[in-house]
Amino acid sequence: MKRVLMALSLWGLALAQEVHRVAITHPGGSYNQEVAFLFPWVYFFSFLVFLVVAGALAYVVLKFRAKPGQEGEPPQIHGNDRLEVIWTLIPLAIVFILFGLTAKALIQVNRPIPGAMKVEVTGYQFWWDFHYPELGLRNSNELILPAGVPVELEITSKDVIHSFWVPGLSGKRDAIPGQKTLLRFTPKEPGNYYGFCAELCGASHSRMLFRVLVVPKEEFDRFVEAAKAYTPPVADAQGQQVFQQNCAACHAVQGKMPPAVIGPELGFAGNRTSLAAGIVENTPENLKAWIKDPTALKPGAKMPGFPQLSEGDLDALVRYLEGLKVEGVDFKALPKF
Amino acid sequence: MAIATKPKTGFWAVLWDLLTTVDHKKIGLLYTATAFFAFALAGVFSLLIRTQLAVPNNQFLTGEQYNQILTLHGATMLFFFIIQAGLTGFGNFVVPLMLGARDVALPRVNAFSYWAFLGAIVLALMSYFFPGGAPSVGWTFYYPFSAQSGSGVNFYMAAILLLGFSSLLGNANFIATIYNLRAQGMSLWKMPIYVWSVFAASVLNLFSLAGLTAATLLILLDRKIGLTWFNPDIGGDPVLFQQFFWFYSHPTVYVMLLPYLGILAEVASTFARKPLFGYKQMVWAQMGIVVLGTMVWAHHMFTVGESTIFQIAFAFFTALIAVPTGVKLFNIIGTLWGGHLQMKTPLYWVLGFIFNFLLGGITGVMLSMTPLDYQFHDSYFVVAHFHNVLMAGSGFGAFAGLYYWWPKMTGRMYDERLGRLHFWLFLVGYLLTFLPQYVLGYLGMPRRYYTYNADIAGWPELNLLSTIGAFILGLGGLVWIYAMWKSLRSGPKAPDNPWGGYTLEWLTASPPKAHNFDVKLPAEFPSERPLYDWAKKGVELKPEDPSHIHLPNSSFWPFYSAATLFAFFVSVAALPVPNLWMWVFLALFAYGLVRWALEDEYSHPVEHHTVSGKSNAWMGMAWFIVSEVGLFAILIAGYLYLRLSGAATPPEERPALWLALLNTFFLVSSSFTVHFAHHDLRRGRFNPFRFGLLVTILLGVLFFLFQAWEFYQFHHHSSWQENLWTAAFFTIVGLHGLHVVIGGFGLVLAYLQALRGKITLHNHGTLEAASMYWHLVDAVWLFIVTIFYIW
Repeated sequence: MKRVLMALSLWGLALAQEVHRVAITHPGGSYNQEVAFLFPWVYFFSFLVFLVVAGALAYVVLKFRAKPGQEGEPPQIHGNDRLEVIWTLIPLAIVFILFGLTAKALIQVNRPIPGAMKVEVTGYQFWWDFHYPELGLRNSNELILPAGVPVELEITSKDVIHSFWVPGLSGKRDAIPGQKTLLRFTPKEPGNYYGFCAELCGASHSRMLFRVLVVPKEEFDRFVEAAKAYTPPVADAQGQQVFQQNCAACHAVQGKMPPAVIGPELGFAGNRTSLAAGIVENTPENLKAWIKDPTALKPGAKMPGFPQLSEGDLDALVRYLEGLKVEGVDFKALPKF
Repeated sequence: MAIATKPKTGFWAVLWDLLTTVDHKKIGLLYTATAFFAFALAGVFSLLIRTQLAVPNNQFLTGEQYNQILTLHGATMLFFFIIQAGLTGFGNFVVPLMLGARDVALPRVNAFSYWAFLGAIVLALMSYFFPGGAPSVGWTFYYPFSAQSGSGVNFYMAAILLLGFSSLLGNANFIATIYNLRAQGMSLWKMPIYVWSVFAASVLNLFSLAGLTAATLLILLDRKIGLTWFNPDIGGDPVLFQQFFWFYSHPTVYVMLLPYLGILAEVASTFARKPLFGYKQMVWAQMGIVVLGTMVWAHHMFTVGESTIFQIAFAFFTALIAVPTGVKLFNIIGTLWGGHLQMKTPLYWVLGFIFNFLLGGITGVMLSMTPLDYQFHDSYFVVAHFHNVLMAGSGFGAFAGLYYWWPKMTGRMYDERLGRLHFWLFLVGYLLTFLPQYVLGYLGMPRRYYTYNADIAGWPELNLLSTIGAFILGLGGLVWIYAMWKSLRSGPKAPDNPWGGYTLEWLTASPPKAHNFDVKLPAEFPSERPLYDWAKKGVELKPEDPSHIHLPNSSFWPFYSAATLFAFFVSVAALPVPNLWMWVFLALFAYGLVRWALEDEYSHPVEHHTVSGKSNAWMGMAWFIVSEVGLFAILIAGYLYLRLSGAATPPEERPALWLALLNTFFLVSSSFTVHFAHHDLRRGRFNPFRFGLLVTILLGVLFFLFQAWEFYQFHHHSSWQENLWTAAFFTIVGLHGLHVVIGGFGLVLAYLQALRGKITLHNHGTLEAASMYWHLVDAVWLFIVTIFYIW
């Protein structure tokens, strides 16, 4: 018995490490923490209403079904004014209470936070770009944030409407072309958070994922320092050459904002936990498969496939890309939410 | 007796009969059959969706295919099933019967509405066979996605415009019927609750459809000629599209709900053997839903970043609307309470509805809490919620209605056991499909995802459960089809009143005869349950004198007109605009209207008594105009927003004011001339009448020619692709120009009728409708002069 329990708990642990535990109730950030108090209220009233109405329904079905051989007609009651007033007023009262709480929470979560770190978030079909204007840094598809520091995301889109959503941290906000929407929260708990595009944007809407990597403040500072002084390392000279010939027209590797953005920034590709906007794990095999045929993983992706690259060139390119990283930080061990 | 009873022989005779019928019962049957066919079709789409989502990273469908099926599923379910079954389907069949009428107010318009509706379905679905495929932008077709997506969107937009036309005419027809054709002695407060619910839904649709028309029209114009209000590159606002869209599309969920609330109340009363509990309160709750329903649309847009105060206002009304909706539910339970419940199939659907709608109502209140909505929005929580209220709510209501009126509509009983099996499979299948989806919402699964990764806890298991549930629903669907088939084939003949119903439709034969009632209805209606009251009082029903029965003639022209209008929309959707074909079909359409106008509605000219004293055409047009006012109001509101926010600034060289003032003179004078012409007609002075009408038409033509010349000039100065003001100008002023053409054509029809001597002192509906429309065109123009030429 003990053994079985042990095995089960080990299996559970293993499972917990493998998968992301995504939940809107996860208190990973200030947003989710601040709205959490609404749930008990609404559950309480929901339960109450459910109990009364479903109870009445069950009672009606059991008590008032016609008995065999029943004669005559039931009492012909046309209504009861007092009862009707009561069952109008009680829901009205419940609704007013919930509305008051709603207004309170809404004002709280939308208020500006002084001293928040700005990040410009831009949605593209089908990936995300993150630019830190105050730090002069840029990264794509993985947003790195320090725990405990408030952020203000300035969200927009360069094509159709997208929506930025990280369930474990905060509610969502739409990315609308020509407009800037703001989302403010303080990430609290370090972790690797799943992010999603939540507005239908095309054939690969569901392949427009991302990650938010919430890291301890010291680690974030270390990363920023190294990133500011970043010169893209060359782990493989042949790979660099292949990159220059095939990839550099669209992808930058400086970790800074290029004059015109075409494709995702690859400056910190080696630090990424995921590939292709969060849809697969960052492994050399996945990266090779992606480069050969991106549309197999993401239909409608603008990146062309490179089946013509020789196996050697491909290996060199992947070595070069995996080497594009800041040393001394490790995002892969973060707990997954 | 003026009833033509042609013996039906063979397929072609039956087909011809259906194509030309104006009988509200046949049209109601056509609507019902089409709507439930749409339900079955959209149900198959949903099984494809659930098959794709059964396991992670599934390759059954591509993202593009999935989006197409998703869009068709939503559009078909909403536009072609749930809005139609309860309103136009049962409504057409039952409402005139419940009112004690022989047909609807405007029978030929009714036939046209159906054929246009069918054309809209064909338009939406035929896109699949064109190179661009079916629309893949979701039924909500948000800008700019819909402006950039494949050609399927053109067909979808055309389908919505045609459907809108059809449904506005249908709504106006219902209201005119309800106002004008109630049996003598039946006051508004003695109408069956279902009639009230059809009235409420029709009013709501007339008020709000403008939002959808505006959104659709602007997307189509953007795609076809590059005219844009929303393009951010020239200062447009993509969110304005959403304001237009949801201004309609939220109220319409109450259009999708109200008729079913009426059906459920009728079924509850009949099967509990009791009157409704709180009839008046139910009516008021319904009207409360209509009013509040128009004030909550922006809760679909909480995540677009509007100001907090804006969101709080909409959160308030959204929460508030739970109250009248809850009241309706309580009153239905109150109706059942203390009754002798006859546990038959229709009642099962009512009970299932109450349970499911309770869940949907509770989760709806959760969604009204904006900070939670930021999380729930566009997640599977929302998917579960709206299926809860629409599929397990309104959908169950549709089946309650179908099983309730089936014997009346078909003359056959069905197998109770099959009906109940269908119910249980649907209830269990429904709960298994959608309860896991609520949990998926909590676990962060966004809606409209064609696939998902395996590395998120809970997603694979819950999705598989949901798919299993969907197939149980599919099984229920098969049982349903078998039950219907079996009943039609070998069901026992239905008695006139199998359930002991209290309302007038149960006084007719099953199925009803062409003239509905053999008896003369007593002129006393003590309550909304005439059959109960009359039986209690022992009122004896005397047969009606057959010479008093007049039925409208069959007509080919409604079908012909709808078919040519359909062809016009196909050529707009499929070809670059403008093209030769669209003009050809428009001309053929106009020809149909002329033939229609010159054809006699009744073989024998008879005086038609109406309750309100106004003609049916007058009443129908008065309500139709509500929707026209709405359309201009919403577009003008959008223009004012763009103008006041500084996005739309007029170009240097604007259309000249003097020309507009001259045109104002023409139009205002023409309102006077048509008024005096009408006046002359009522005095029986036919020659001055015809002359006045002709002058009106000529003034309209003058206006149109000057307007066309101005458009031609201005088009060379400023492009609607580059300037928002210019885009708004061409849209609104152009739409007004279109109304001048339509109104002028209406006057021409009246003039042709006058030439043929078909306009009489008491029978001149076309003229009444056309002149009322003409006054509208005039009034709108005064607004346009102010906001485009003077300002």
